[in-house]
Amino acid sequence: MNVIRRDVPPPPGPVRTFEFPRVERRRLGNDLAVLVARHGTLPVVTVEFVVDAGAAGDPERKAGLAHLTANALETGTRTRSADRLAWDLERLGVELEAEATWDAAAVRITVPSDRLEAAMDVFADIIRYPAFPRSEVERLRDEQLATILQREKDPRALANDKAVHFIFAPDVPYARPLIGTTASVEGLSRDDVEAFYAAHYLPNAASLLFVGDIDGRTAHDLAERYFGDWPAGQPTVAEFEVVPGIETATVFVVDRPGSVQSEIRIGDVGVARRHEDYFPVLVMNTILGGAFTSRLNLSLRERHGFTYGARSAFGFRRQPGPFVVQVAVATDVTARAVEEALKEMRALRDDGATAEEVAAARDYLRGVLPLQLQTTDQLAARLADLVIYDLPDDYFDRYRDRINEVTVDDVRRVAREHLRIDRLAIIVVGDAREIAAGLEALGIGDVQVHEAG
Amino acid sequence: MIEILFERHRLENGLDVVLSRDPSSPVVAVNLWYGVGSRNERPGRTGFAHLFEHMMFQGSKNVPETAHFALIEQAGGSLNGSTWLDRTNYFQTLPAHYLELALWLESDRMGWLLPAMTQEKLDNQRDVVKNERRWRVDNQPYGDWDERIQAMMYPPDHPYHHSVIGSMEDLDAASLEDVEEFFRTYYTPNNAVLTLCGEFEPEHALDRVRAYFGEIPEGPPVPPIPGRTELEPTLGGEVRDTVEQDIPLPRLYLAYRIPAYGRDDFYPAAVAAHALAWGRASILYRTLVREERLAQDVVAYAFPIVVGASILVIWATARPGVEPERLEAALDERIASLEHADDAEIERAVSLLEARRLIELQRVDERADLLSMYTQLFDDPDRINTELGKILGVTTADVRGFATRYLRPENRAALWYLPRRNGGRP
Repeated sequence: MNVIRRDVPPPPGPVRTFEFPRVERRRLGNDLAVLVARHGTLPVVTVEFVVDAGAAGDPERKAGLAHLTANALETGTRTRSADRLAWDLERLGVELEAEATWDAAAVRITVPSDRLEAAMDVFADIIRYPAFPRSEVERLRDEQLATILQREKDPRALANDKAVHFIFAPDVPYARPLIGTTASVEGLSRDDVEAFYAAHYLPNAASLLFVGDIDGRTAHDLAERYFGDWPAGQPTVAEFEVVPGIETATVFVVDRPGSVQSEIRIGDVGVARRHEDYFPVLVMNTILGGAFTSRLNLSLRERHGFTYGARSAFGFRRQPGPFVVQVAVATDVTARAVEEALKEMRALRDDGATAEEVAAARDYLRGVLPLQLQTTDQLAARLADLVIYDLPDDYFDRYRDRINEVTVDDVRRVAREHLRIDRLAIIVVGDAREIAAGLEALGIGDVQVHEAG
Repeated sequence: MIEILFERHRLENGLDVVLSRDPSSPVVAVNLWYGVGSRNERPGRTGFAHLFEHMMFQGSKNVPETAHFALIEQAGGSLNGSTWLDRTNYFQTLPAHYLELALWLESDRMGWLLPAMTQEKLDNQRDVVKNERRWRVDNQPYGDWDERIQAMMYPPDHPYHHSVIGSMEDLDAASLEDVEEFFRTYYTPNNAVLTLCGEFEPEHALDRVRAYFGEIPEGPPVPPIPGRTELEPTLGGEVRDTVEQDIPLPRLYLAYRIPAYGRDDFYPAAVAAHALAWGRASILYRTLVREERLAQDVVAYAFPIVVGASILVIWATARPGVEPERLEAALDERIASLEHADDAEIERAVSLLEARRLIELQRVDERADLLSMYTQLFDDPDRINTELGKILGVTTADVRGFATRYLRPENRAALWYLPRRNGGRP
């Protein structure tokens, strides 16, 4: 047994190599892209259908339609009722996930490999032949409306929804909750769902991903068998411009009488997924609020004890999504917490980060990649990024090198460019009677008090 | 069926060590279960086990304050800890070549936490935990349901009567002396399981484990769980409560007393929960959500807790406009229908449980946590391979019998959350 030292951390052992799994890509005759990656050691396969049917494509005044459409896929096909569908999958142990994000809709199953073929039959039926029974679609619409009601009474969800509401100009899709508003969802009908499906769910606007215990030949055969005769159509592209909702820093207090905490969001328009500063911004945000030992958390939690946790994130989308700092603090320290958070942001913007911080952030981001690729559905999510954002197939092979190239100067530059302290929207969901005066006294900008509803 | 291979060792100081090698990815999970949770707290110190967990991240003799998180994150790892009724676990997953870093950090705090304790650190983490309580419980719709259900389901002298997060008052009362006493009593090698899962060479890893943990002295025998741990198998009468909150939709929580986790008669309860509310073909989703449209959502699960008796909880949120009485009557009727469940219902539930187990075993951190759990709770890490057999062995008759015996109104707590009538301020 070797003698160990306890007074210093032990040095790392020899580095074990990590290689991103090889991705095989082919196209069917109808232009459906098929990506296959063998992954893991267990007899499990994730199959994911990704299509250009995200909420950014919701028509004017129909916010929430992409979400409703994705949900409604499981309500029945031409040959299977909703109940039949559920039984046919669940007796195989398969749970279907269907969801819309801003940039895509995805339908996903993870299935023991010996049941893959049986599951594919149902999976393809759901995607290609949904019947959208009126009564079922209306049920889901009503559930969506009830969820909206619940979000209005949940301080975290309310703060998230209000943040984007104030960060973006009103006509930007990102200004709305992805599931829509009471007004927009009340107006949604079965015919809207069918029309949205017909316009967006097309093989030539979609990809099919197979990840896990499967080879390229088998996957391709399955794709061909179940999706090969699906006729291509004319895809539509969502076009809009992202415009900020405010020009100068403004404080929006959303009154929630009796709150024992204030949910704080500090935000601005961020950057798009394909922005050339993606990697420097990722490193910069890790230093600001993307890890436990980031500046915001060390200050607000570990130094001041104001909160259980503080973090920040950029929503990287096809268009610039929101950049948001989020923290929940005890009511009586609300103004001080806002002040400290702004202080940290200003310091990073004005002085940049140290070489040690930049190195630590790079090491963190490089190191966690393999940790985040343990399961078949985690890898499928990365492959989905490739197709949604049109990234090259070797993107993740080069990912860690790209992180490694980020310099102290890059971080300083992107902090200056993307942390626009003078244009921040500061949203505080809390008891206005207790917190408004303190926020006013900070002198950040206008303080507006809004009703929660 | 999948078999997870492992080897088990016990150091002279009583530390249980489980090694499970998987070279398929260059990562390693290092997981520790200490046999202490909120069940071990004494009166007036509710929430202390969890507060103590926070103190474990505040540095130890050779690890400066905040260095624990910083060193793991710089290594490209992720980490956390969590406290529950029966246990406190600490876990990190990191690139395989940083295995020794995790062993150094974990052994330093197991052996030498107290030299680094200060009143300032305690006061800071007390504030953090009080904010955690506000965030999880006090400022969250329906946020105190588990606290209320535990108090309704377990008598005041049972260790599950109080919540893990504890009361603000008790958190205020916690002192440095409490930290010291708790550490000496429960944070001993003989009350812990260390599991490594991932890429490493077992002989070398065991050598390193011995080097880092071997010199930590064995602690005193772990005291018995305080209070009265034995319970009647059923509750003996329905307990009801109603809470008004600033919420838009009423929600009903039904909690049934069931056999403790790990006993053979626990598994029909797990299957029953899945038959009731897991998936869109489940009994409650099918009927209350899809067909009758009384509920916005339904959830059911059996708690994996081991002292005296466990809980099967079912909840349903009313759709707007649905009278609470109507929802409850429908729930009662459908839950009772499990007494006549057919084979298809049970096969579906078992099939979902089986697939889910396979899917969760993909993660080394999940595997490590399960191995620690089975070793800590049952002294039997091989349950990671054998437990599924117990689930697959559950028959329709078992579930019917379980439903007839346990899923009865006189064996439950019923907790309604209703929208506050005057709205606004409490």
